Amino acid sequence: MKLIGVFLFLFSSWAVASDHSNDHMDHSDMMHHSHEGHLHEKLVDGEKLIVNPEKFDKFISGLTNAQVAVVSVKGMVCDFCARGIEKTFQKDKKVKKIDVDLGQGKVLVAFDKGIDINFEDIKKKILANGQNATSIQIVSI
Amino acid sequence: MGIKFIILVLLLISNNIDGRPISYSGGSTLMMFSDNMKDSIYYHYSPTYKYSVGIEQVKDKYFKESSSYLRLTYLADRKNTQNSQRNLYLQTGLSTNGADDYFYGAHGDWETRRWFVGFGLKKVKKEIVDYSQQYLQMGVAPYLGEYGDLHTWLMIKTKKNSLNNDWSTYPVIKFFKGVSLIEFGYNNKTEWDVNYIYRF
Repeated sequence: MKLIGVFLFLFSSWAVASDHSNDHMDHSDMMHHSHEGHLHEKLVDGEKLIVNPEKFDKFISGLTNAQVAVVSVKGMVCDFCARGIEKTFQKDKKVKKIDVDLGQGKVLVAFDKGIDINFEDIKKKILANGQNATSIQIVSI
Repeated sequence: MGIKFIILVLLLISNNIDGRPISYSGGSTLMMFSDNMKDSIYYHYSPTYKYSVGIEQVKDKYFKESSSYLRLTYLADRKNTQNSQRNLYLQTGLSTNGADDYFYGAHGDWETRRWFVGFGLKKVKKEIVDYSQQYLQMGVAPYLGEYGDLHTWLMIKTKKNSLNNDWSTYPVIKFFKGVSLIEFGYNNKTEWDVNYIYRF
């Protein structure tokens, strides 16, 4: 029992320390990452786009004449949640590409430029997986 | 090749589970579990994220019998926040052996990408004897993987079955990638727990 206690203590300490070091790494990565001209630096409707820069840049590479819905989602804590969301959106023929940024709690969905993006429809799709979409930002590519 | 091999091995050695019991709308899940009390294999389908229906084949090592259960799991409560999810599930199963053989229970969990806490209570009614099972589990992810990465959880599980009236506490390691999750626990009283989930 003592061994289990020590085991838990060590791993929880390590996890907390690792959280802090990740925070520092994220900040330092952002400082060293060149933001010049990157779309993730853009203000959308007056709000800064909060996404993982590398993930976002990778997501939009190769996309042309498109718009990306960056959807904030609550309750997306594991790959199973993300997988369900991905599968649901993949069934929608209007969707060109989808990815999930677990770290920031965002779902990235790319549509053609002419498509009218309906946030209520997106909310329904997310809710069908048991999570809640709280806001959307749309970026033109 | 790797995943297919693991599935094949688990199909050969194992049989029930109490992992996340409801999938996304239209999703199916195959769950396999093996410990000192039973082997089981459980398939369920979720028409919506609120409930699942399924069938479980159980090989009971204590009573030395096999039975099938028609199972229903209902998500009674869920709280989503930006960084966490909390769930409370109610479950029941009716055995094909007769009306005197059934179970009911509840289990719940709270998790972030870093921490996990879960519990379960189950009452089993059989013609010869009734018994109960309960467990508590907590864990930490030593690193935070992104979507699609291999995720690892280090956990402690404690469980009790009223048939042997003794708590058993032991470490558990869980690996999680894509559509598959596998969990191993070991202690010298109850030996191996093996838990596998495949979602599709």
